Amino acid sequence: MNEITVDVRNLSVRFGDFTAVDRVSFSVRRGETFGFLGANGAGKTTTIRVLCGLLHPTEGQVRVVGVGFEDGERAIKSKVGYMSQKFTLYNDLTVDENLSFIASLRKLDPAVYAQRRTELFDFISFGRPLNTPVHDLPGGTKQQVSLVAALLHDPDIIFLDEPTAGVAPASRSRFWAMIRKLAAIGKTVFVTTHYMDEAEQCDRIALMREGKIIALDTPEGLKRNAFPMPMLEFDPKEPLSFAEVSAMAQHDVFSFFEPYGLRFHASIKSEEAWERARPQFEDTFIIKRITPSLEDVFIHKVEGQAV
Amino acid sequence: MNPFVWQRAAAISRKEVFHIIRDPFTLAAALVLPVFMVLIFGVAIEFNVKKVALVVSDADQTQSSRRLLDTFGSSGYFLLQHAGSPNDAIEDVTAERARAALIIPPRFEKDLYAGRGAQAQILVDGSDNSTVGPVLGYVGSIQTIASRRIGNFNSPNTYELRTRFLFNPELNSRWFVIPGITVVIMAILSILLTALTVAREWENGSMELLLSTPVQPLEIIVGKVAPYGALGLIAVTFVYIIARTVFGVPFVGNLAVFGLGCLLFLVTYLALGLLISVVTRKQVVAMQFAMMLGMLPTQLLSGFIFPVESMPAFFQYFTMLLPARWFMRIARDTFLKGSSLLDLGGAFLALLIFCGMMIFVATRRFKRDLEP
Repeated sequence: MNEITVDVRNLSVRFGDFTAVDRVSFSVRRGETFGFLGANGAGKTTTIRVLCGLLHPTEGQVRVVGVGFEDGERAIKSKVGYMSQKFTLYNDLTVDENLSFIASLRKLDPAVYAQRRTELFDFISFGRPLNTPVHDLPGGTKQQVSLVAALLHDPDIIFLDEPTAGVAPASRSRFWAMIRKLAAIGKTVFVTTHYMDEAEQCDRIALMREGKIIALDTPEGLKRNAFPMPMLEFDPKEPLSFAEVSAMAQHDVFSFFEPYGLRFHASIKSEEAWERARPQFEDTFIIKRITPSLEDVFIHKVEGQAV
Repeated sequence: MNPFVWQRAAAISRKEVFHIIRDPFTLAAALVLPVFMVLIFGVAIEFNVKKVALVVSDADQTQSSRRLLDTFGSSGYFLLQHAGSPNDAIEDVTAERARAALIIPPRFEKDLYAGRGAQAQILVDGSDNSTVGPVLGYVGSIQTIASRRIGNFNSPNTYELRTRFLFNPELNSRWFVIPGITVVIMAILSILLTALTVAREWENGSMELLLSTPVQPLEIIVGKVAPYGALGLIAVTFVYIIARTVFGVPFVGNLAVFGLGCLLFLVTYLALGLLISVVTRKQVVAMQFAMMLGMLPTQLLSGFIFPVESMPAFFQYFTMLLPARWFMRIARDTFLKGSSLLDLGGAFLALLIFCGMMIFVATRRFKRDLEP
């Protein structure tokens, strides 16, 4: 389980003057579900594309399943499975035509392809006819077929770039159930997502901002490091004015204060200071101690909105 | 160097066949458009000028002048209109009621019999260059015939040049035009068929899927050219059948030689279409480039309309860079002259070089990564 599947050292990718990925280093263990979290343009997709052999690094070393760019990008491509954030199958082809096309590009023997197709359709519980045109499939099912396409050659590691973007919640949940099953059979899953509930399911998460990894830990570790002091939830008894909210956010007892729906999440600077300040809030709010969510961490770390 | 894998190229071809048979536009463009084009252009483009309106003013009104007019009238090339005076005749030409005027002066016959050499005047509307050449040609021929018919007047010539046209005895312009149209149609069709294919893959995201597999650019290029090449050959077969049956164009050459030329030319232009697609990555831009590169040079510089030999020296050399110029020669010479592969060795060699070069450049320019 401690075998390193992905090893990245000082990876930089530049497009002209723009630095998309800036001296990033990390490693991923075999069987791990590794998440990349960051805003749009943070460099997640660029990093994944390098790891799949789709982009050449400007600087740095990359090894994926024991091979690197010095072995040729085709060596990497043959070892990994990749599912793009864009739907990339051909809409005018049937499910089987799409999959057999991918199988041929990967030089799978027809018998092996047929066996893998059956296994993977069982895996995603696909019950439609094979000659269904892809454009007739619902969005969630299309994503599942894309996953099958990425898994046909039985790669050790699968890269999923925002696999559930634009998919209904129920389909997202089913898709993540599949990711857990993949992890359970020893596959390394490398996933980028915008959904915090999905990121919570990763073994480890790297937070990216402006091409750099600014934090890398387990979800619990990230929360602990981001908020060493307790997190409080403030539920207002009466609606607040903008001025009242603004005044609260500026209060020097809080190190973090952010709206969370109709409520507010805040992290205190010290227990002593909080105990002194507490009475002035109790008339206006129902206050309870909570565990910080990954969204709190994301806002705090990635969007840099700490007070 | 990674080995070329036929299995992958065949998979690309199979996929393209699925796209083609499910896309009515592509099928129509490939099979129906060439048929329409050859029918429309075959009828519309006519270099032979017939039934030229000729206004005549006959001030002589003798047997000789009437014979001269009869010779013009019965030639089939002129429609005679009569004018009262030379001025009226010139006015008809000025007002574009006639293309040319024949003015026979008084004493035409007398001068003829006196051996002084009779003179008549032909005035041709020089503002329309396309009719001047043929009209002068007809006049020359008619003059010879008329001299014989008018009387036994010995021509001052001591010898007679008898002209016989080889390969196209009747100088039927359709025989000349239709093999040329075949070249134009094939150029437009093949460049358009492939110009959109790679750009479409970039636009709909499937290029990311292709590039995430170990497939190589040459496998993609070969895989994409093969089905469209087959489609192009079917289209050219239709054009050939129409040329032979509808327009009666003779084919005296070797079909295999013509077919080989078609194949080389098709592959060259299909690869050029792919190169455009690879470079532009956008369907709209690719379409514009394809129309520009496919149509203009083929129509204007290949010798289809304007003979290469008549072009300025620079363009005569420049046209050597156009595959269409070489295939134009192959098409016309196999149709009408029955030229062999050996006769057309230079043209075939040029096409072969262009074909290999186009595939090479398209493959080299094909990006293996997703760098923007």
